[in-house]
Amino acid sequence: MTSTPSADRWIGYLNTVLLMVAGIIVVAPTLWMVLSSFKFSHEVTAYPPTLFFTPTLTNYVSLWERTPFIQYGINSAVVTSASTALGILLGTPAAFVVSWTRITWPAIVTLLARMAPGTLFLLPWYLMFRQIDMIGSYWALILTHAVITMPIVIWVLLPFFDNIPRSIFEAAQVDGCSPIRVFYRIALPLVSAGLSVSSILAFVFSWNYFLFALVLSNSDTKTLIAASFNFIGEGSTNWGALMAAATLIALPPLVLAIIVQRWLVSGLTLGAVKG
Amino acid sequence: MDTSNSQKAQLAALSAPSVIFTVVMIAFPFCYTIWISFQAVSATGMMRFDGVANYVRMVKDGQFWNGLWITIYLYVLSLTLQLVCGTALALLLFRARRLPGFIRSLFISPFMLPPVVAGMMWLIILDPSLGAANYILTSLGLPPSNWLASPALVVPTLALIDTWQWTPYVALIVLGGLQSLPPSVYEAAEIDGASRTKTLFRITLPLLLPTLVTAMVLRSVDLLRFFDLIYITTQGGPANASTTLNIYGFRMGFEFFQFGYAGALMITLSALVLGVVLALNRLRNAVAW
Repeated sequence: MTSTPSADRWIGYLNTVLLMVAGIIVVAPTLWMVLSSFKFSHEVTAYPPTLFFTPTLTNYVSLWERTPFIQYGINSAVVTSASTALGILLGTPAAFVVSWTRITWPAIVTLLARMAPGTLFLLPWYLMFRQIDMIGSYWALILTHAVITMPIVIWVLLPFFDNIPRSIFEAAQVDGCSPIRVFYRIALPLVSAGLSVSSILAFVFSWNYFLFALVLSNSDTKTLIAASFNFIGEGSTNWGALMAAATLIALPPLVLAIIVQRWLVSGLTLGAVKG
Repeated sequence: MDTSNSQKAQLAALSAPSVIFTVVMIAFPFCYTIWISFQAVSATGMMRFDGVANYVRMVKDGQFWNGLWITIYLYVLSLTLQLVCGTALALLLFRARRLPGFIRSLFISPFMLPPVVAGMMWLIILDPSLGAANYILTSLGLPPSNWLASPALVVPTLALIDTWQWTPYVALIVLGGLQSLPPSVYEAAEIDGASRTKTLFRITLPLLLPTLVTAMVLRSVDLLRFFDLIYITTQGGPANASTTLNIYGFRMGFEFFQFGYAGALMITLSALVLGVVLALNRLRNAVAW
């Protein structure tokens, strides 16, 4: 028997200390990236590494001056926003129909996209898009990124639709409301929270996705994530600029994730776990 | 609910766009890759039926077996580390009970980062000559390591980076499981005078098994297809020591333009992912309570 009050208190202290250590391990690398991005180049590569330094914006300025960073950022914003919008447009009615009819196979087919490696889809897409001369176009990137966003939207929204009491739908039907009207007049307003969560998650995953843009973009449509690969090649000489790029690329998903943190886990596990 | 024909038509109309998109962008390409895995595809896209030649080549290809081994090595190592650390972290968080919002955001931050960004920051931390990691090792009196530049250590290092990124995710899933356990079980254990360790190993962890299997499924799907982090940090090197099946298939397809062979590799990898998911699903049914 160890449950004497003082033993309990010591275990409580130990718990807090261990949690703090875990917290430091979790945050330190990201913090190091942000700190390095504000260092002069001689200080980024200083050995031993320095924790205190005079901050500078030179790395950010050099990104601006030496790379088409803004253009890449615009490309990322266009591809991510459009593929998120497409995912919502396609996925929302689909989730409603799956919830209404309990016919789940269309939703399960979308899980193929979650289970098969990206390259498996990239091979046929590459051949298809080359045939119609669309490689390097925004549309090729938007359509392929919607393969990421649409399943997220369907699976995040499903429990939201399932939570609407069936009696509401039945009453509407008795009043002569058709399914399409039930969908946009009644169901849609009731899942507005789900719509924001699913669009934010879809946005984050589309923003973070690397592989498709690596192959299907060209120098005009390259997204920030795909361009990171070039930054690394150049970054071997300029760590500070590399860390500034990494910080800026990481900023949108981090901010958005914090906004939806309450729903994040249930969303990320396709509803398998209630967060 | 009675569904009339006009209702059926309307429901079909609502789902039509997503069904068409799924067929064109997911189901058809999937079948197309199965088909090209039985073709000899030239770089210009000319195809000729080639039977199982690509699969025969695969079985005879040492690099395929090497890639399969690296895939499984990286998978088992990362999954084990993440489950152990994730469960430990979840138990700590569960005991702390009150969790301020900003602490939660802090633990969410690693797995919301693009894996590419995680790769960039760890490249610099793990740099063999100037990185902070080796500085910490040497100040503790330990020998410095070559990390990602060492053929022997590259897979464990990648597993460590991925564990850093995804342990909090596993922890939050397990925490959800812990919070849904009925408190009556603990009360009964306490009345029976069970010690803390006994309660943990005999009661809490067995009851958590279904949640742990769920976390395993979700992580397995990503870990078997491990790509971004490797491509950003090592591109499969040094000396192919981190060339997983996914990296190998990608390079076959888009560096050597051998689409047929790349297709065969990707179909094989998908079968592996599917097999693991089905096996874990059976496990989940076996441990359900």
